[in-house]
Amino acid sequence: MSMLNSKPSLGLYIHIPFCRSKCDYCDFCSFVPNSGGIVEHYTDALILQMEDWSDKCRGYRVDSVYIGGGTPTFLDSKHLGRILNALYDNFSIPRSAEISVECNPATDDFKKLRKLKRAGVNRLSIGLQSANENELRALGRIHTYRQFEETYDNARRAGFENISVDVMYGIPDQTEKSFAHTLSAVTSLSPDHISLYALKIEDGTPFASRRDTLNLPDDDSVYSMYVNAVKYLAARGYERYEISNFAKRGQACLHNLKYWHCDEYLGLGASAHSYFKGERFSTTRNIRDYIDGLEIIDSDIDIVASRDSVGSDESMDEYVMLGMRLEEGVNIKDFEGRFGVSFAEKYGHLLDEYVEDGFVIADGESYRFSTSGMFVSNYILSSVLNLSSNG
Amino acid sequence: MKNENYDRSRIRNFSIVAHIDHGKSTLADRLLEATDTVSGREMEDQILDNMDLERERGITIKARAVRMNYTPPGSAPGTPPYVFNLIDTPGHVDFNYEVSRSLNACEGAILVVDATQGIEAQTLANAYLAVEAGLEILPVVNKIDLPSADIEGCRKEIEDIIGIPAEGCPAVSAKTGENIPDLLEAIVNDIPAPSGDPDAPLKALIFDSYYDPYLGVVVYLRVIDGTLTSGDRIRLMSTGAEFETTAVGTMEPFGLNPGESLSAGEVGYLTASIKNVSDTRVGDTVTSADRPAREALPGFKAVHPMVFAGIYPEDGARYGDLRDALEKLQLNDAALSFEPETSTALGFGFRCGFLGLLHMEIIEERLEREFNLDLITTAPSVIYEVTLKNGEEKKIDNPAGYPAQDSIAEAREPIVKASIITPAEFVGGLMDLCQDRRGVFSDMKYLDEKRVELHYDLPLNEIIYDFFDALKSRSRGYASLDYELSEYRPSKLCKLDFLLNGEQVDALSFIVHEEKAYQRARKIAERLKENIPRQLFEIPIQAAVGSKIIARETVKALRKDVLAKCYGGDITRKKKLLEKQKEGKKKMRKLGSVQVSPEAFMAVLKLGDEE
Repeated sequence: MSMLNSKPSLGLYIHIPFCRSKCDYCDFCSFVPNSGGIVEHYTDALILQMEDWSDKCRGYRVDSVYIGGGTPTFLDSKHLGRILNALYDNFSIPRSAEISVECNPATDDFKKLRKLKRAGVNRLSIGLQSANENELRALGRIHTYRQFEETYDNARRAGFENISVDVMYGIPDQTEKSFAHTLSAVTSLSPDHISLYALKIEDGTPFASRRDTLNLPDDDSVYSMYVNAVKYLAARGYERYEISNFAKRGQACLHNLKYWHCDEYLGLGASAHSYFKGERFSTTRNIRDYIDGLEIIDSDIDIVASRDSVGSDESMDEYVMLGMRLEEGVNIKDFEGRFGVSFAEKYGHLLDEYVEDGFVIADGESYRFSTSGMFVSNYILSSVLNLSSNG
Repeated sequence: MKNENYDRSRIRNFSIVAHIDHGKSTLADRLLEATDTVSGREMEDQILDNMDLERERGITIKARAVRMNYTPPGSAPGTPPYVFNLIDTPGHVDFNYEVSRSLNACEGAILVVDATQGIEAQTLANAYLAVEAGLEILPVVNKIDLPSADIEGCRKEIEDIIGIPAEGCPAVSAKTGENIPDLLEAIVNDIPAPSGDPDAPLKALIFDSYYDPYLGVVVYLRVIDGTLTSGDRIRLMSTGAEFETTAVGTMEPFGLNPGESLSAGEVGYLTASIKNVSDTRVGDTVTSADRPAREALPGFKAVHPMVFAGIYPEDGARYGDLRDALEKLQLNDAALSFEPETSTALGFGFRCGFLGLLHMEIIEERLEREFNLDLITTAPSVIYEVTLKNGEEKKIDNPAGYPAQDSIAEAREPIVKASIITPAEFVGGLMDLCQDRRGVFSDMKYLDEKRVELHYDLPLNEIIYDFFDALKSRSRGYASLDYELSEYRPSKLCKLDFLLNGEQVDALSFIVHEEKAYQRARKIAERLKENIPRQLFEIPIQAAVGSKIIARETVKALRKDVLAKCYGGDITRKKKLLEKQKEGKKKMRKLGSVQVSPEAFMAVLKLGDEE
């Protein structure tokens, strides 16, 4: 048994909270900086935070890194390079690790992508959302479909062999037909991975404030879009491995699987979330606080926004809640091995109620959702889980 | 034994009547201040309305009374003051009987008219009540501090419309206190002193009562004849029940002021270790057990609830709390009745009886606010009379107990005589409304060029079905409604049932006239559809009379309830979302196999025709 393999594995998430323009539906931590200074400071702070965590992560093998945002490619090559170098300096990242970077069209160029590739990034996730210009505009996106194609092309030329494309459905002005067109356009490029996200109108976003004027498809259409997409993608070799994620064989995103398998991950940067040594914690969404908290010596700003230790009931709930997002569902033996509790007694008998109507599939080894079950999973999980957190 | 200070000629008993918002309560406050009954510092706005609910709604629900002493300026030292008894009356059709009893305790009424608005529908209705009670009307023009005040126009309107002299009547600002001394003088000069014989056998009119946990029932009364002394044995003439008086006295703004006796013309209270307000009904006559009056004061009637509804705790575990709360409210509200009932849909609750819809709303609100209960209330119903084919007679206050259609020989429903006073321009719309609600026109008269009084015979079950709101919306709030029960008339009634997913939901049934069944059925089915959240299966909604389905709708199955993105490992957020959803589900009622939120339930029950 080699030393290397005996180390537990850890995922690293790095948040880059900058965008060229904020989309109308977005409630993530991101903003449009009005000067270069803040980007410089943020990069410095991020590197300081990596140094802080370096020792605590010494026992871990970081086998996935995910740089998300915001728009990481909003940063220029110099800053991206500093961040990547700091990662390698502070954490034990094997060559085989999956290193993903999110990228939005019109924020990249061939040279930047090639630099990323050379710096070890091996997976690129491109935010497209729609292949229809009217829908892109309705979302407040700054790019055209043509620009996406350029980005995609540049990424392939730069040597990326694992490219994911984000697509949204249930968006304003979309129809089942226009969504089918988007899928057809995207699959014709043959990306390795596709994420399909249903639009959710989040409080506090521009979309929420003009919800009534948005021409949104109704729930039945949205459901049809999803069901048809699952079939369409399956026929083209994309297997669904999670509610919203589809990949060609062997190309599932390792980093995201850590979330759904309740594996450990550390989130660095403003608003990042972590699950580390039995605790879930998050970092402040306030970028100024984040920077000051790290850069000012003896600052009394606490950059930790929330911290909860996860009790055994809660961690069982989480395991089922997240596991049921996956195509493979929750394996009964894995659950019982992990928690030492009978799955049937805890959750199985409740999930059984949904088997007859075809929302849940139980084959004796595992429980999982059918396609229709996945799409009403909140409704079912809110009845099945204990959800008795003390928080 | 009369009080040594007793001087009937120096007593003035009066009430204040007004249209809503014309300043009745503010005026009462100024009187209390001007007579030094309450100092400015003690003055919390509008002392007389002391229920929160009354203050918010700007209406008086229970009668109140307060005693003031008034010494005219320039009186010789040692002159005894005048005694003013202000009796405040409730102001809604549900409580008209109480109003008439309160007015009977007075010799005069101050009619307040807003100088910027002139006479309004309620001004008239209330003025007529006071005239009917034989009171001297003292008109007062209020709000003269406002720039748009038209004092002379207002005085003329009073003379033209009500037909009482108003030239030189007091014109005041209750807000600023301007000219309040004029009003005090007018009260002395224009309102007659009470008559009555202090040495005759006792006759005292009960105009209100309430339960006090230490004193028992406190009875508010006006002595018409005779003298009531603490320790007297009294008899209530409607029931013959006798009690030993433990205290008599007068009402002060901040509590009771025990004295020795009350004589003819005086207003005050008595306590007699009475346990239940239903023993001391408003309008009843108190006499002496030792020297009883030969006959009671006229006009007493036992008030019976006219409107019934099931009240259920949202959380079934709070049934006991609901019972305790109803018992406490009943201590002070003889018109409220309740008895336990069970619903398969709603569990254990109570069938409650009310004077009218406002009374019902008030009770609901008090239960929710003062006792912190979340309630589900079923659609209000009236009492129907049914003669079965086997000759049996039944009274039905709960639709669930309505007999099968083919067993009924005759069904009868209560009819009220309704009087609507409205500006002439709305007459057409209101006549349509009455027609639509199965009203039978009896007559119409012009009170003046602009105002019309309409009389209709209307089924009470149409009035409790949102009639008041419809009346207001069709008259931009101007029309007023007054009604009293007249008789039971045979009617083609049927019971409308609702089925969710094939199972009948008892709490949704109600009785309706055959002609209305189809229209109501469709409307309610639509509302149910809008208000029942989508569930994993399709839910058929059916409305049925007997075994015949007359309307149907479908709640489509839930298709989408998913958090598609689980971003950046933010698990807590998703968990919180599911927690909230689970909380919401706990509040759901299972009606058959269907989950219905209480909000949806209320929305369905409170539907009206007016969109």
